[in-house]
Amino acid sequence: MKVAMIGWEYPPFKTGGLGTHCYGLTRSLADKGVAVDFYMPKTKHSAGSDKENLVVKEVGETEIFPYDRPEDKALAGKFFESVYKYNDLLVQRVSGEYDLVHCHDWLTMKAGVALKEKMGVPLVLTVHSTEYDRSGWLCPNDWFINIEREGMEAADRIIAVSHFTKRVIAEKYGINPDKINVVHNAVYPIGEGEKQNIVLFLGRLTIQKGPEFFLRAAKKVLDHEPDCRFVVAGMGDMLPRLIDQAVDMGISDRVIFTGLLSEEEVKHIYQIASVYAMPSVSEPFGITALEAVSAGTPTIVSKTAGVSEAFRNCLRVDFWDTDEMANKILSLLRYEPLHTTMVEHGKREIRLFTWDQVAEKTLDVYRGVL
Amino acid sequence: MPSVCIYFEVHQPMRLNRFSVFNIGKDNDPYSTYFNNEVNRWIFEKVAKKCYLPTNELLLDLINKFNGKFRISFSLTGTFVEYCERFIPSLLDSFKQLFATGAVDLIEETYFHSLSSLYDEFDEFEEQVKMHRQMIKRIFNYEPKVFRNTEAIYDNRIAKKIADMEYKGIITEGTEKILGWRSPNYLYKPVNADIKVLLRNYKLSDDIGFRFSAHDWPGFPLTADKYAYWMSQCEGDLINLFIDYETFGEHQWIETGIFDFLSHLPWEVLKHGNLDFITVSEAVSRYDEVGEIDVPWAISWADVNRDVSTWLGNNMQIACFNELKEIGKKLREKRDKDLLHVWRLLQTSDHLYYISTKDLGDGDVHAYFSPYDVPYEGFINYMNILQDLKQKTV
Repeated sequence: MKVAMIGWEYPPFKTGGLGTHCYGLTRSLADKGVAVDFYMPKTKHSAGSDKENLVVKEVGETEIFPYDRPEDKALAGKFFESVYKYNDLLVQRVSGEYDLVHCHDWLTMKAGVALKEKMGVPLVLTVHSTEYDRSGWLCPNDWFINIEREGMEAADRIIAVSHFTKRVIAEKYGINPDKINVVHNAVYPIGEGEKQNIVLFLGRLTIQKGPEFFLRAAKKVLDHEPDCRFVVAGMGDMLPRLIDQAVDMGISDRVIFTGLLSEEEVKHIYQIASVYAMPSVSEPFGITALEAVSAGTPTIVSKTAGVSEAFRNCLRVDFWDTDEMANKILSLLRYEPLHTTMVEHGKREIRLFTWDQVAEKTLDVYRGVL
Repeated sequence: MPSVCIYFEVHQPMRLNRFSVFNIGKDNDPYSTYFNNEVNRWIFEKVAKKCYLPTNELLLDLINKFNGKFRISFSLTGTFVEYCERFIPSLLDSFKQLFATGAVDLIEETYFHSLSSLYDEFDEFEEQVKMHRQMIKRIFNYEPKVFRNTEAIYDNRIAKKIADMEYKGIITEGTEKILGWRSPNYLYKPVNADIKVLLRNYKLSDDIGFRFSAHDWPGFPLTADKYAYWMSQCEGDLINLFIDYETFGEHQWIETGIFDFLSHLPWEVLKHGNLDFITVSEAVSRYDEVGEIDVPWAISWADVNRDVSTWLGNNMQIACFNELKEIGKKLREKRDKDLLHVWRLLQTSDHLYYISTKDLGDGDVHAYFSPYDVPYEGFINYMNILQDLKQKTV
């Protein structure tokens, strides 16, 4: 079986779960004897593969950062133009004998639909997030929604990263739920480190990820545990606002904004954190929660996050309920038996979340369309 | 000829309020801030309507129909009786009516359905047993002869204590762990004390309690005549069927046919010439023990392990349990009656049960009974309350 897979990021360059997923999935598929050509935009750090039947193909440069949200018309025009350019480029460059095309999220969907027609092969689409998620359900942009709907309608089969996302696809995009399979994400375990009195947020600093709720909870925790430190790791359009917020609340000396971290730095911060909080407003899955758990860090996640429907050994909160988030953070900092029991059971459960499993379930989907 | 000894456990815990770390140390009334009276009342009234009231009525009817040949035993916890007195006094009246037939026996236990038998000293345990005794005396004017510890928790030490307190019998689980090849359908005696031990026939008990509506069980559907036939084929002196009372109408819904089963059971049992019904007190006076049991480590009737790991199986549970004991030491010096009562309500084993992290088969049972999303939530809530109570003891 030979698959043309189209993504937009691949380690070492990645900004989200999509890149992590594509990496784990393509490598595990290759291990199962599936030949995969992975197409992606050209980046500064070139991505590669050490596996014979997995080839990473960069198809030219693009200016697009997929999580950008063009704010004015002039910018938007340029943004849309470069999206079309990337997709056109893909349609030209993807050639060869493939059994199917597999694409990931909106940025690749136009190309996916065109390639399906051009090559006459089935199209599989994985949805890692929708426009509703990225906008935090506030003013979602029709331009993205239309591209997404077009791709979902054209796909022969859709893979959703959670039941939560499956419902969004069915209800918001009017797609027949029978066409959608749920395949939960997985994790390459990180391993434990020496814990410090640190509570961690790690993700894009966008409205979707709820970093402002993290800071509000931080304030409440610091009122009781002034020695604790809060780390906000990641970049995004909200960074200036968040820095102001920390200053206004008088906690700027206890909050560290790290900016974008390298892969090694990410691992390190997971390892030394005592608590990981993921207060996302909308989170189709949330691989970072599994990464934190695999580093021995108990995790508090949004009730609606996809990961919380699949993974039991975590604490759940409503993202807006910062009192409860603070209650749980404080409990994890104060009650050692809670911390150790969650670490122990979490690490045991995390073993069930392997990329091999993800590849196996994805293969089932492939077999269904061939 | 085996006698059928049916005994129902009747218990409701005082469920807790959501209590955050931010509530710790505030000057509040512990009783109303710790316990969620609204939810407790709602659940109690719901279970009373679905289970307690209709089952009591059915049992009274059956006892009358069979002129006392249908005989049963009950164990009512102190927290259950407090609920009755506060919310549905008529429910307590119907238990009195049942008792007045003479075909109903009552069993002793700790008033608070607690794990006090596992504390280092027996003083708190003894006090809670006495509280239960006084309550039964006050309401039923009766002194139970047979003791059953919380969830049938039992070891040599507890058996000795109960024998010293002059009970005639004690109930526990008929597990192979203590019996080996021997049958639970006889009375036994502890190696170290003079008291008769009644052993729960867990297979037949769980056929009703757990498997009654399990479609994938070969015994399904369970009818009263089939069940009575199985019992008539049993060897031994007595068959101990010890069942949660909430099985009727609550764990097994009315739609499963559980009430039809119960209403036909006496007919079908008494059709067999070799079967009759007895109460727990009658069992210990009628039959003699056939052997000894030696139980150095505590057993119980809970989960597949049949030990105390259900309540003390992880570090969180042990931390809460230790905290409870510590608070007790301080409270005894303080002599505050209200705080003492609150502390005792917090000893109800259910609070620790909700913190169990047993995963597979048993985890499902825990999740069914737990008001918490995950055991960690149960721990946070309970531990926060214990921390607040601890501050109040200073």
